[in-house]
Amino acid sequence: MLKRLVYLLLFLPMACVDPYEVEVPEGEQLLTVEGIISTGPGPHAITLTRSATYGSIFEGLIRPVSLATVVVRDNEGNVTFLTEGADDLKGSYFTPANFRAQVGKSYTLQIRTAEGKVYTSTPEKVASVPAIQSLEIRTVTVPTEGSEVPKSGIQLIAGVKDPADQNNFYYWKNGPAVYILETRPDLYTPRPSPSNPNRTPQPKDCCVQCFRYEAGNNQSLFVVNDDSFNGLTTKIPASFIADDGYRFVNKFRMDLKQYSISQAAYRYLRLVKQQAEISGSIFDPPPATIRGNMLSLDNPDEVVLGYFMAGGETSQRIYVDKNDLTFKQNRAIIPDDCRVISGAFIDPPADWKP
Amino acid sequence: MKKIYLLVFLFFGLMAAVWAQTPAVKREVIGRDIGQLKGIKLSGRITDEITGEALVGATVRIPELDLTRITDDNGSFELDVSRAEYTLEFRYVGYETKIYPITAVGDARITIKMLQEDFTLDDVVIYGSDPEKNIRSTNMGAVTLSVNTMKELPPFMGEIDIVRSLATLPGVSQVGEASSGLNVRGGGVDQNLIQFAGAPIYNPSHMFGLFTAFNPDMVNDVTLYKAVVPARFGGRSSAILDILPKAGSVEKFGGDFMLSNFSGKLSLNGPIIKDKVSILGGFRISYINWLLQSLSNTTLNNSNADFYDGNLVISAPISENNESTYSYYTSYDDFAFASDTTISWQNNAHSLQWKSKLSEKLKMETVGFYSLYDYGIFNQSGLNNFKINSEIKDMGGRTFFNYALSPTQSFTIGAEYKQVDIQPGELIPTGTSEDVLPKKVQNEAGREMAAHFQHELEIGEKIGLSYGLRYDLYQYLGARTVRTYQEGTPVSDGSAIGETNYGENELIQTYDGLAPRASFRYSFSKASSVKLGYNKMYQFIHLISNTATIAPSDVWKLSDGFLKPQIADQFSLGYYNNFKGNIFETSVEVYYKDLQNVVEYKDGANLILQNHIETELIPAQGQSYGLELYVKKNLGTLTGWISYTYSRSLRRVITPFEEENINNGTWYASNFDKPHDLTLIGNYKVSTNTSISATFAYSTGRPVTFPEAKFDFSGNNLAYFKDRNQQRLPDFHRLDFSVNFKLKGEGKFFDGDWTFSVLNVYGRKNPFSIFFDDAPQQPPQAFRLALLGIPLPSLSYAISF
Repeated sequence: MLKRLVYLLLFLPMACVDPYEVEVPEGEQLLTVEGIISTGPGPHAITLTRSATYGSIFEGLIRPVSLATVVVRDNEGNVTFLTEGADDLKGSYFTPANFRAQVGKSYTLQIRTAEGKVYTSTPEKVASVPAIQSLEIRTVTVPTEGSEVPKSGIQLIAGVKDPADQNNFYYWKNGPAVYILETRPDLYTPRPSPSNPNRTPQPKDCCVQCFRYEAGNNQSLFVVNDDSFNGLTTKIPASFIADDGYRFVNKFRMDLKQYSISQAAYRYLRLVKQQAEISGSIFDPPPATIRGNMLSLDNPDEVVLGYFMAGGETSQRIYVDKNDLTFKQNRAIIPDDCRVISGAFIDPPADWKP
Repeated sequence: MKKIYLLVFLFFGLMAAVWAQTPAVKREVIGRDIGQLKGIKLSGRITDEITGEALVGATVRIPELDLTRITDDNGSFELDVSRAEYTLEFRYVGYETKIYPITAVGDARITIKMLQEDFTLDDVVIYGSDPEKNIRSTNMGAVTLSVNTMKELPPFMGEIDIVRSLATLPGVSQVGEASSGLNVRGGGVDQNLIQFAGAPIYNPSHMFGLFTAFNPDMVNDVTLYKAVVPARFGGRSSAILDILPKAGSVEKFGGDFMLSNFSGKLSLNGPIIKDKVSILGGFRISYINWLLQSLSNTTLNNSNADFYDGNLVISAPISENNESTYSYYTSYDDFAFASDTTISWQNNAHSLQWKSKLSEKLKMETVGFYSLYDYGIFNQSGLNNFKINSEIKDMGGRTFFNYALSPTQSFTIGAEYKQVDIQPGELIPTGTSEDVLPKKVQNEAGREMAAHFQHELEIGEKIGLSYGLRYDLYQYLGARTVRTYQEGTPVSDGSAIGETNYGENELIQTYDGLAPRASFRYSFSKASSVKLGYNKMYQFIHLISNTATIAPSDVWKLSDGFLKPQIADQFSLGYYNNFKGNIFETSVEVYYKDLQNVVEYKDGANLILQNHIETELIPAQGQSYGLELYVKKNLGTLTGWISYTYSRSLRRVITPFEEENINNGTWYASNFDKPHDLTLIGNYKVSTNTSISATFAYSTGRPVTFPEAKFDFSGNNLAYFKDRNQQRLPDFHRLDFSVNFKLKGEGKFFDGDWTFSVLNVYGRKNPFSIFFDDAPQQPPQAFRLALLGIPLPSLSYAISF
């Protein structure tokens, strides 16, 4: 908001922004924990990574932490082991599919890394979550500098009947989605290669329509506490799904997950949200230390990043028709059989009931 | 053309004589002759011939008796003489000296009108009213800058800037190139009480600090108290900035007009009732908005940056010994970029002042004021439309009596009352849909009361002593719902265990305290002295801001049961020496300041529309100390000053809860800790109508926090910050330059004044901030934001008529 003064000065042009060489203290590679276990159906995932130095030049990647022993322990002493995924899912640890957290219980996450270091979270208590009463679709456009066509997408507005007798903290995540992908096999042109120098189109007969699966994208964080609507039925923006030119060409389906989280987790997510929305202007709030709930048992001074959350979960499925959008991006064209696209299949999911 | 009037009124009003004379000597007999030989009282008042304003601090001298008097706040003086022949000399800086030979035969009252020196004078004088005031006055750390002095500095964007001019003095700094307010001796911007004609002002800036919101044509002088503050001031813990408006002329109409590349202003003044009631009105408006609209860039067409300020001053002498002044001040700003969110703020301040001379020795001054600061954020993006309104209302008055027991001793006693009402924020949905819930933060109300006295005395020529005591009483009032928190846990939403409802005007919390003030002077000679001072101040209102500047997103919060008043204790010691008949003025000052209950924020505090802001705040301790060196050349074709400050401003947060400590409870640099701060200012009079001036400023870069690591959460690359303020921005330095050329107009009209100035002559890109951006398809990188990255020229033309 206020950073816009800077834009004005940039235009006038008095101010300027340019790359700057700066000495950043060599950071340690800190263990980072992310994940939520919930009352919803499993498996639930916990992801372990190591941080990288945030320097003036490219200084390292965030790497997954593999081969750790990860367990979830509840306040009655029950222990659940998590197993690490393979390939792309290295560094992600999954509970058994039948594992569900229970309302009222407290859970702690315990980690032993391959180097033998032991970490634990503070207990997180699972609170109950009211159901999503309704979901509305709203088209959102984001004016974009230097572009005639604004970016756009849809916002899902969740209706919530907030219980009056407790302080609630809500967190929404986009769950898995499926949509009808439409391609143009009739425009297929093979890539020229020594064996095939021919650049004339070779139309394919099949297939125009596929069902494409994708994992939930959660770059925008939606968290809220019930301070301003305790005990009321209200509507809150709970999700944003960007229009990439593919998703809203025909039909789109997504499961929106609504969690009740602890107050500390809410605070953590709010800090993450605040930082993710900063863009480095003079009016930005001063940088905040984002403290999580993980501790090292070997060295209490060691910083562990991230947050282990436990919460109640409820989920609502929504089908979005192309006509639900009041503004759409131009359709993106893939000149090929839709089945060649990763995550795309010709058969509809068994429960596809638009 | 020199015209001199000396008006002599007989003390008993029996007879009046008016005559004009040239310096060619004609001895005048004054007084009603009743055969008195000794104890003849000559009293009088010195005023500006043009404006009718009292000249405060002018010198009256009788060389035959080696007797010197300085005029008081009302421009008055009194002389005890015997029946004899004398020469009366009247001097005031910037005015023509007057010398009158007289024969005193009885009590008389004299009115002297002095004429401002023509600016054709080759020499520039930049001291205030009294060249030896720095040595002789017992009060420490009070600096008065007259607008005439500020005129000798290079203008900022075409105009004199009051706040920036003060920042060139030792011990006074600003956070960066666009920041509101001043940091005085390691204090925050909210720790200064800014008063315009006695009414408090909350936001002294236009465009987030690019311009100061006071029109310099309306200002007579500005006094900054940074060390020992007289007991009649209080309520803020660092400093007092007392801005006094000009008065209009009681004799004839006149005005000023100025155009620069960013703004234009016009002021008019003159008598409503000739020789009695004068009026002064001024208005300044920016045309940045008009410039934006005329650009072809669509983003800029849809942007908005407006500001204006206006003043009205009416002065009416009720009687010979009573003067009243009404002042109204307003300033307005709105700002929008690409027209979705508009931010606006407005100051309104009314004050009515009554000065009375009850007897020759007893004077009284009373001020009543009402000020309203309101600010808002308007979202008209079409999605989630809303507005957030906030306001602060101050209403009150103060009065004090000054009794001059003898020429070397005086007492001041007085009282103050103020009611503060704050509406911290109300969100009103303005769209058609219901995606934003209306929200209103509870209003706050408080009363500040104070009683004070001060005793000033001189013991011989060498020793001066001034001590005072102020009793501050503060009440926090309902209606309000106050939470109770579980003991032994950090104050947070989760540890709230109950609520108490207080009714309208019901007392919720009281704080009180004694604030002693004392300063001591020992003069080695007329040209050198040493001073020692102690000062304690209380502050009951806090600026809760998580940005570096005063912005409409800030919250002003009264002290309550959770947020204790800030308390500052300051010790200062100074040595002052003038050389070569006051041509050079030098000083060395050291200070140590201890601050209690400074506000710090929990990490990522949520301040806007926060009903329980105590859950976001942590009390901090502060300390600051410094050494200030100052050398000033007051007279000559080359004038100016060098000020250097070494200072530290530190904060520490220790709470019973380890997780709430900041930087593990160690001392760390505050946001405005800039250890080395050097300013060089020079003004050179090239010829009678051309002068050039330059300012060079250097300071250590301010502290910043750099991330220690980056990590990923939910698809966002995040920075991990560990300890606050451990790194610094690169050093700040900048050279400004200006040329002033005065057109010698024919006749009295159109004495034009061209000023060309360049800010940041060598185009230094002083970073306001360094930030880290991890945009896709590029390595994470540090970026520098420089608000003034190029040499910025400006041109202004001013005429007086």
